[in-house]
Amino acid sequence: MKRKIRIIFMVFCGILFSSKNVYAYLDPGSGSYILQILIGVLLGGALAMKLFWSNIKLFFKNLFCREKKQ
Amino acid sequence: MKGAGIHGKVAGSFRDPSGFLFYKDGELYRQVNACYKEQNVHFMRSGLYSYLVDRGMLISHKECDIGMRQSEEAYTVIKPELLPFISYPYEWCFSQLKTAALLTIKIQKAALEFGMSLKDCSAYNIQFRNGKAILIDTLSFEIYQKGKPWVAYRQFCQHFLAPLALMQHRDIRLSQLLRVHIDGIPLDLASALLPFYTWFLPSLLFHIHIHAKSQQYFSTRSVKVGSRSMSRLALLGLIDSLESTTKQLKWEPGRTEWANYYEDTNYSLSAFENKKRIVATFLEQAGSRCVWDIAANVGIFSQIAADKGMSVLSFDIDPACVERHYRNCLERDEIRILPLLLDVANPSPGIGWQNCERMSLFERRQADTALALALVHHLSISHNLPFENIAYFFSRICHFLIIEFVPKEDSQAQRLLRNRDDIFSDYTQLAFERDFQKFFMIEEFRNVEDSQRVIYLMRRKDS
Repeated sequence: MKRKIRIIFMVFCGILFSSKNVYAYLDPGSGSYILQILIGVLLGGALAMKLFWSNIKLFFKNLFCREKKQ
Repeated sequence: MKGAGIHGKVAGSFRDPSGFLFYKDGELYRQVNACYKEQNVHFMRSGLYSYLVDRGMLISHKECDIGMRQSEEAYTVIKPELLPFISYPYEWCFSQLKTAALLTIKIQKAALEFGMSLKDCSAYNIQFRNGKAILIDTLSFEIYQKGKPWVAYRQFCQHFLAPLALMQHRDIRLSQLLRVHIDGIPLDLASALLPFYTWFLPSLLFHIHIHAKSQQYFSTRSVKVGSRSMSRLALLGLIDSLESTTKQLKWEPGRTEWANYYEDTNYSLSAFENKKRIVATFLEQAGSRCVWDIAANVGIFSQIAADKGMSVLSFDIDPACVERHYRNCLERDEIRILPLLLDVANPSPGIGWQNCERMSLFERRQADTALALALVHHLSISHNLPFENIAYFFSRICHFLIIEFVPKEDSQAQRLLRNRDDIFSDYTQLAFERDFQKFFMIEEFRNVEDSQRVIYLMRRKDS
């Protein structure tokens, strides 16, 4: 399993990175920086889905509440 | 002056070039350097400072005269609100560390709303004031640059996620790794220590295991972070994931020797009530503002002091006791007590650069009064500590001491002697009084009804 993860990781990295250095007083760690960019795509998508889903729930909740009031 | 280093600078305040803390005439100030001017102006003018201070998430400060500056690099000098006691993450129970982690995430979310981001998120930047977690580093913010990943992601994982995950999934005592690793638990170590099943928990898989592999993989490679940046949505997704991961981490204190101490005690109800009355009387006689309850268990006697309006630090060696006590305080909205994890026989040392970055217990604020109830027999018999050493320890931390002598005939003392040779021929009330009087004056003592125990009120000789 660990080997598979490593291969997937290397492929992602090969696709994604080119130039530009990072400066900060705190060493963010190259590995941590790169991982964020990788998983950020997934986690951002997940957040978008979460927000979308909560909006749908809110829409129906408001709809039913309105019907009840009427 | 607590933790003062070179030229009055606070010894632990040197990592961030944005500024530093220093003492002047016994007061604590923070110099903000010119290199941080733009960030600081944005922080104050954007409304983020007011937003956080108004909600009790950030310590407030007052602007001071620039003449207070310690060097030419200064842009301004501020005077932060002073906290009565600084505690450290390795002295917190599970829920305290989790609370600190969630506050950090909440602040990061708020910062992004105001166009800023946390540039560090050290657990040491969080303290407990009036029972609530609060950020104490005003210089922890930077202007958010579109596309820039979170610079403090690694630090958050090392300072918060890794210890919390280890405490839940491996052993609660692993929080003590923070005492060894001042910048948080290295993720490769956390990954190696976590049980195999945590590889199947997506949140820990990403933030700990793959994160550790990623660090390892890139540690020997020259990498330039590419033009492909991190969108704001991706950054928010990462923060949301860290928040939900932290919220999912839970630990329930089970039955331990100490957490159930009062259920197994040899007291009669009347003896226990009498002991409470004696302690209450002695606390009033001492007239203290700050009380340290050493070996507080779940804080029954701490509460007596708190009910009298005293601020109390309640130390105990057992993470389950501290956890229960902290939760009780939250439930009762008790803001005067701060439960902390501490082994009296091995109290927090000074750690970090020159052993000065984080203060030892003795370098921090002393107690007006220390409570040492049902403790002496443990120190003396379980740790082989002579009375003189115990008395010296207390003379370093308090002015008044309320201490209980538990005679060898007491069933609790007998329990400690059950499986060992009784080498404690000097464990007598006479020897106890003799050795403690080297450092303290005995003001008063009372026998606890229906028991052989005696409670003393002592005053340190130089007080």
